[in-house]
Amino acid sequence: MTRWRKILILLSVIGPGIITANVDNDAGGIATYSMAGAHFGYTLLWALIPITIALIVVQEMSARMGAVTGKGLAELIRENYGVKITFWLMLFLFVTDLGNTAAEFAGWAASNEMFGVNKYVSVPLGALIVWLLVVKGSYRVVEKIFLVICLVYLVYIPAAIMAKPDWSDVALQTFKPSFHFNTIYIVMLIGVIGTTIAPWMQFYIQSSIVEKGIKKEEYWASRIDVIFGCFMTDFIAFFIIVACGATLFKAGIRVDSAEAAAKSLAPLAGGHASVLFAIGLANASLFSASILPLATAYYICEGMGWEAGISKTFKEAPQFMWLYTILIAIGALIVLIPNAPLISIMWISQVINGMMLPPVLILMLFLINKEELMAQYRNSRTFNWIAWATVGIMIAMTATFVVTLFI
Amino acid sequence: MPFFAGEIFVSEIINKPVLDQTGEELGRLRDIVISAGEPFPAVSALVVAAGRTVYVIPWDIVNLFNRRVISVNILKKNITPAVVSPNDILISRDMLDKQIVDIDGAKLVRVNDLELGDVKGKLSLVAADIGLRGLLRRLGFESRGEKLLSLFGYKLQHKLIGWHYLQPVEPRLSKLTLTVSGQKVAQMHPADLAEIISEVSQKERTALFGSLDVETAAEALHELEPQVQADIIDDMSKEKASDILEQMPPDEAADVLGDLPEAKAQELIQMMDKDEAEDVQELLEHEDNTAGGLMTTEFLSFPEDMTVEDAIRDLRLAAPDVESIYYLYIVDAEERLVGVISLKNLILARPHEKMHEIMKTPVKTLPPDAKQTDVAELISKYNFLAAPVVDENMIMHGIVTVDDVLDFLLPTASRKKRRRR
Repeated sequence: MTRWRKILILLSVIGPGIITANVDNDAGGIATYSMAGAHFGYTLLWALIPITIALIVVQEMSARMGAVTGKGLAELIRENYGVKITFWLMLFLFVTDLGNTAAEFAGWAASNEMFGVNKYVSVPLGALIVWLLVVKGSYRVVEKIFLVICLVYLVYIPAAIMAKPDWSDVALQTFKPSFHFNTIYIVMLIGVIGTTIAPWMQFYIQSSIVEKGIKKEEYWASRIDVIFGCFMTDFIAFFIIVACGATLFKAGIRVDSAEAAAKSLAPLAGGHASVLFAIGLANASLFSASILPLATAYYICEGMGWEAGISKTFKEAPQFMWLYTILIAIGALIVLIPNAPLISIMWISQVINGMMLPPVLILMLFLINKEELMAQYRNSRTFNWIAWATVGIMIAMTATFVVTLFI
Repeated sequence: MPFFAGEIFVSEIINKPVLDQTGEELGRLRDIVISAGEPFPAVSALVVAAGRTVYVIPWDIVNLFNRRVISVNILKKNITPAVVSPNDILISRDMLDKQIVDIDGAKLVRVNDLELGDVKGKLSLVAADIGLRGLLRRLGFESRGEKLLSLFGYKLQHKLIGWHYLQPVEPRLSKLTLTVSGQKVAQMHPADLAEIISEVSQKERTALFGSLDVETAAEALHELEPQVQADIIDDMSKEKASDILEQMPPDEAADVLGDLPEAKAQELIQMMDKDEAEDVQELLEHEDNTAGGLMTTEFLSFPEDMTVEDAIRDLRLAAPDVESIYYLYIVDAEERLVGVISLKNLILARPHEKMHEIMKTPVKTLPPDAKQTDVAELISKYNFLAAPVVDENMIMHGIVTVDDVLDFLLPTASRKKRRRR
């Protein structure tokens, strides 16, 4: 293969990995990183390195299964482990992703309010935009729009530079793990790591690779897509922590949300940094408010055997389109109903999310080692050790994170 | 030979204990081996597992096989563990939960459960359950789900696809394909065809219909739900649509046209053959649920002085174009209905007898505005296959046949089953 041909394949395959990883920095992710920076300065930066590795290990396996089997994760689970486990998994994941979608709309509403837009205007408008995008668009077009959205995340880089951090200290803290025996620090660390991998990501990346029609011959390019995406995501997270660490932490401002961080940046790093932060949050929230319902519609339709896909029409894939529509409508409504228990909804969805992660990851590891499915694309012995260790640690961290939710 | 009765769903028997001759438990039923055979693959062996030990028990030595007891004609100590051959087709492993796609590869649904039944004395795989009921059964909620839904007045229906509509089985299939293509479709009964057509997606439906000859398409179309009929006609070229409508009995064509938007219906009528169009137009003017709306304008009428011999000859010529030939209606010179002769009596009569000598009078008739319940009452009371519709001057306009009456008496039973979900 000539080099040009390779580059061409790479460019045509790239997308699912970058998109899925970037949604990891959703409204909740940005809030977590802002709080980490504000509360602990640069001392949590080192955690981004193991997070990146864990993200790559897990996402790569899903992408590989999609390219090799041509089937989504929910499809594989149903065909190999039966309807019972699939049904309960889908049911619980539906609930948690609905809660998370509401949380994304809340992030979108909060960032819009910073620009003086009322949530009764911004939320219906945002919901309509993401709905039209998927219902009217084809996969190719929607993916390109998503990739452009991913570029908007880069606004956090100038925001961090405006905060004028001490770059040598930043570099030192990034590569020198430190640990503080302090309850809040540990809870924060667990929160940062424990929310890195969510079940929906595994389903989404695999489904989008299947819908894109990536073959095992092109898989090498998809692997680059996944690795690049994971690095990019944590690169953005890095700048969020740095921006907050250089300003809010120094000034002793302890924020508890992403929009509070954006607001507090104005006097410290200038109005521009504050605006960039708000734009980043708005972009990330709306992006995730589309991807989460999309992932949910994918896995439920795959599990039930219904036609699914962004390129399909309402007539061709009615269940898929209705699920997407209903999730967006309910997610948006929860934010708009006065006194809706948003905090409790998010709390419940985080708990279920944490509880669903172990079965999903373990089933994934079983599936990827099945010879009749993966043949020579199974995990190698060494990679299996790494994968099981990663999955074990992630499950432990997530479990601990769920426990901290009850404290 | 094994004893089995009625139909059994795989989910009801998987994991049930399997007993030997003395009633000792051999293990649990893990899977069922079937042999490839068309159209319904027969059960050839049972896979029984006790812990890690696996027995493959040939179907011949199975004694009882039903949802309560599974027993075999052998002693536990006499069977040796075996392995499943890689070429064996296992029902649970290879069929359950698999994707069903239509001929064009569009995904429809997954196999929620499988039904075994008697085919020529052999227990065979007869159908795939694709409905909510099958799903609930697998989850162990069938009876609870049924009760819950009955509170809302909803009856949980079985939704099965006969195995003969699915491709022949092979080991380790990744999906099952509906075999609604080419010649197989042409050989199907229109009612079965309609069942399949309701299952496939809109796009494939139109393609499938396009591939049928006009006659088959006309028959299948009538079996579909009104909304589906309208969708199909809408997607078809106008020429083809009007050809199909011409081919249908006028009352059925009128039913289909009645569900289309007025403008579209009129446009199609314009394109139809003139005589057919007039009949359909007349029928469209009657209320749907009256004798006039139910009737067809195709019937046999003969003058009263015609001989039996001539009538039989004319009947032969006219019969291919007429839906119902079981009654011959006798009219006088002013076209007034005066009597009726059943096909049986016509054939039994001597050749030179005249119609008015053998006809029955008076005739039980219906006015065009008779309610459909009155129509049903008359037909059922006198055990008619059809009843004539006449105006106040006894001029005959059409007949209502017993199948038209059944269609409105049992619409849910015959049509709901075909509904997609």
